[in-house]
Amino acid sequence: MPALKVRATVRSINKLTIEDMTSIREKYKDPKRIGAKASILVCGGSACKARGSAKIQETLSDELQKKALDKDVSVYETGCNGFCNQSPVMNVYPDMTLYQAFKPDDVPTIVDEHFTKGQPADRFVYKDLKDKKSIPNRQEIPFFSLQSRRVLSKSGLIQPDDIEAYIFHNGYSGLVKAVTSMKPKEIVREIKDSGLRGRGGGGFPTGLKWEICMLMADETKYIICNAGPISRSIIENDPHSIIEGMVIAGRAVGAAKGFIYVREPDNLFILRRLHTAIDRARGCGFLGENIFDSGFNFTIDVSFGAGTFICGEETALIRSMEGKRGYPTPKPPYPAQSGLWGKPTIVDNAETFANVPLIIENGQAWFRSVGTQASPGTKIFTLGGAVNLNGLIEVPMGTTFRTIVEEIGGGLKKKSTLKAIHIGGPTGGVIPASAIDTPTTYEDITAAGVIVGSGNLIIMDTNTCMVNEALTAMEFGHGESCGKCVPCRIGSRVMYDKLLDITEGRAALEDLDMLQSLAFEVRRTSLCGLGQTSPTMVLTAIKYFREEFEAHIKDRWCQAGKCRSLSTFVIEPKTCTGCGSCARKCPQGAISGEKKKPHLIEQAMCIQCRSCFETCPFSSIRIEAGVTEEVDSW
Amino acid sequence: MEGNILIVDDDDIVVKSCDSVLTPEGFTITGTTDSTDAIELIRDNDYDIVITDLNMPGVDGFELIKQVNAIKPSVGIVVITGFASQQNIKDILQLGIIDYISKPFAPHTLLETIMKATYLVRKIKAIPAPEADTEPDAKKKTEALNNIINEFKAVPGSLLRVLESAQDLIGYLPPSVQRFIANGLRIPVSEVYSVVSFYPYFTMKARGKHHIRVCVGNACHAKKSGQIMTRLKRNLNFNDDNITADGKFSYETVRCLGACGFAPIVEIDYDTHGAVDPDKTLDILKDYH
Ligand SMILES: Cc1cc2nc3c(=O)[nH]c(=O)nc-3n(C[C@H](O)[C@H](O)[C@H](O)COP(=O)(O)O)c2cc1C
Ligand code: SF4
Ligand code: SF4
Ligand code: FES
Ligand code: FES
Repeated sequence: MPALKVRATVRSINKLTIEDMTSIREKYKDPKRIGAKASILVCGGSACKARGSAKIQETLSDELQKKALDKDVSVYETGCNGFCNQSPVMNVYPDMTLYQAFKPDDVPTIVDEHFTKGQPADRFVYKDLKDKKSIPNRQEIPFFSLQSRRVLSKSGLIQPDDIEAYIFHNGYSGLVKAVTSMKPKEIVREIKDSGLRGRGGGGFPTGLKWEICMLMADETKYIICNAGPISRSIIENDPHSIIEGMVIAGRAVGAAKGFIYVREPDNLFILRRLHTAIDRARGCGFLGENIFDSGFNFTIDVSFGAGTFICGEETALIRSMEGKRGYPTPKPPYPAQSGLWGKPTIVDNAETFANVPLIIENGQAWFRSVGTQASPGTKIFTLGGAVNLNGLIEVPMGTTFRTIVEEIGGGLKKKSTLKAIHIGGPTGGVIPASAIDTPTTYEDITAAGVIVGSGNLIIMDTNTCMVNEALTAMEFGHGESCGKCVPCRIGSRVMYDKLLDITEGRAALEDLDMLQSLAFEVRRTSLCGLGQTSPTMVLTAIKYFREEFEAHIKDRWCQAGKCRSLSTFVIEPKTCTGCGSCARKCPQGAISGEKKKPHLIEQAMCIQCRSCFETCPFSSIRIEAGVTEEVDSW
Repeated sequence: MEGNILIVDDDDIVVKSCDSVLTPEGFTITGTTDSTDAIELIRDNDYDIVITDLNMPGVDGFELIKQVNAIKPSVGIVVITGFASQQNIKDILQLGIIDYISKPFAPHTLLETIMKATYLVRKIKAIPAPEADTEPDAKKKTEALNNIINEFKAVPGSLLRVLESAQDLIGYLPPSVQRFIANGLRIPVSEVYSVVSFYPYFTMKARGKHHIRVCVGNACHAKKSGQIMTRLKRNLNFNDDNITADGKFSYETVRCLGACGFAPIVEIDYDTHGAVDPDKTLDILKDYH
């Protein structure tokens, strides 16, 4: 691998005063600032990057220059819009036209129609999924209009490296308020009253954690932002919101040192963004000594682990920061009492920190104005799987999964039927289609047997085999177990083996009960959150899809055709029109037949790749039970 | 099986018979009855295996083997001999050959021996030659490593940082480097090893020039990242250490890179490729030379 060094791009910035911040806001209020008529905000998130956002910016500059528009129209790169499904994406400010799913070659057409002809280039604006009507305005696209973006409010609309843009959007006013006019106790009170709960998955009340830490008598305390992969989107989009939240936390509990813990040391893009943000915040006086003449000092360093999921667990994370193996330790003592180097330490998720400045600035009542009593505020989810619009969304807690799937996500893909929703990331589980009206709150999600976890939603259609998914989950569980405690290390391995037996047709019905009770035990007795959550998929899959497990065991039948030994692909002669589509797709050449006559699959050659099943326009391919091996063992 | 093979025997019939057994199996065969000629051929071509007789006029088999080992040490040698006396066998094995066949031989013996030998040679070739660090280069690296150690020596808990920098510098963390670091930081080697072996980021084996990470986390799994894996494995011929024979690519699977909304994800070196269409997996590799 080419070795690259990370260095922040430092621009000299002077310490700001409150007046300076006001004048920045005034300056930016005028969209014609610096003589610009409009700005084109090109998405530079990972998805759009992969679809040529750099090339797009280049072409845009060329094209604007050619048309002598370059004085009036400026081009910026932003973070991810969350609309990754439709990438590449760009917004034109101030009219907020959103262009999507175009090619760099289409840029001249867009510039021509938008700026010369003065109307949106219709071919590249979003079309409603139902009535196919064009929706040029970003704010009117259901994907955006049905969300409630607070933490993500600036995503896609500012240049993440530009601290002035962050300040313009009222950034750092929470910090100024906290350090200049609030006592630490008042900050903790405000967070406590807001009811903010940890967004890292556990949902622990943040204010309570801060209070415990604040009351500790130690001189030295630490603030750590747990920036695992799930926080990637916030760092990419809005790094200053995390920094601001951390400074406020430091002020509240009496810590002078913060760390942003990035789990992957080789994610240069993220590291560069963080370093740049920290340098600029320091330059402006939001970090460093005597912040806004309050006498309060706070600095932030980036710290990194070396991969491995378990280091997302807070106690393991702390061990890893101390240069040791990332083994979790029993709680209590909680990190808030005894954490990094034995000092009281706040470990919070990046999304949690990003909510803090908003609460301080707007007050706890504002925060509670969306969400539910016990789960106030908004939550970010990643939406993936068999839904039309994959991407990053933020909704009030309590929004039902139905709204997310059917409206924001634009419903299921063509030919797909909802089977289940997988919630919570690798150690999460499923709820069945019938539970689609479950609200997205900590209480309701937990009551359904799953976890909020990483906030990852995967919409599963009827092509999904729950047994196979449980197997994948346990493969993860035993693969990522740190090995410190027995239930997780051995229990997850045994569960994996049992599931393998089921998918390969070697299990008996008793095994299913054994699997279930083992999953309960592992959940109950494991030391840390990994072992306590990795059985979630097994438990929820058995809870909601028990018949499917039984069909695997009793009938040797995997209806989804995912478990190779338990499925046979056959062509239904009554409905097969002999179109030959399947035969053309089959990588094995296993399908033969005369034109317009029913085709036949040669079972000995079939590798069960499902291509024919997915291709057949007449749904003439059936998935039947596996062939029993007893036949040849005679 | 594929393989590029040279047959050297002063007896024309042996050359022809080897050709007729091996060519139909997919091997590419060159034959010569002149051993001086053979040395030229070996110098100019890339053979996997050289099959040679021992008793030949001019340069004899023993001499030929010595020469091959000198000019192309990665070529595997199989000896065909008419007089397989104990002493003879001991001598030729000491010369560093892979196997021998005694005359007369059955076609399947020849085929099996050659297939085994080719497989072995491939495996050996696939282990990238230790980075030919020139003397000054190695010195520079040692110095750089010393600087890293000195920088962090006094910082508690900095072992991970040191290891990361060392891996950046050298590419991987073989036992010798781990010992060096342990000495420098004045901690037990076992502590260094326990950390290196715990974190997936650290590798004790050399990686390819370009390192591919395929996400098999659940969002990516749902979007068929398994098929991406299959395609890579099928087309790139990774060895047991997950490196391609030419050392160009290595791979690992990872679980969730945090870009689930854009699954499936493949990272190559420092680039993130999202929404990878499994059918087009190989296309993204084209930009990496
Ligand atoms: C196996 C495991 C992995 C975790 N990964 C993360 C993570 O990537 N990011 C995160 O913020 N919290 C993660 N957590 C939760 C943390 O342990 C901790 O609860 C959280 O950082 C606290 O912050 P919060 O109160 O703001 O949620 C993980 C927990 C476990 C058990
Ligand atoms: S539950 Fe698993 S990951 Fe957690 S401490 Fe035990 S073995 Fe380690
Ligand atoms: S499942 Fe795949 S291999 Fe089997 S018949 Fe269908 S297309 Fe061919
Ligand atoms: S990366 Fe552009 S919308 Fe997500
Ligand atoms: S599962 Fe692949 S990026 Fe999250």
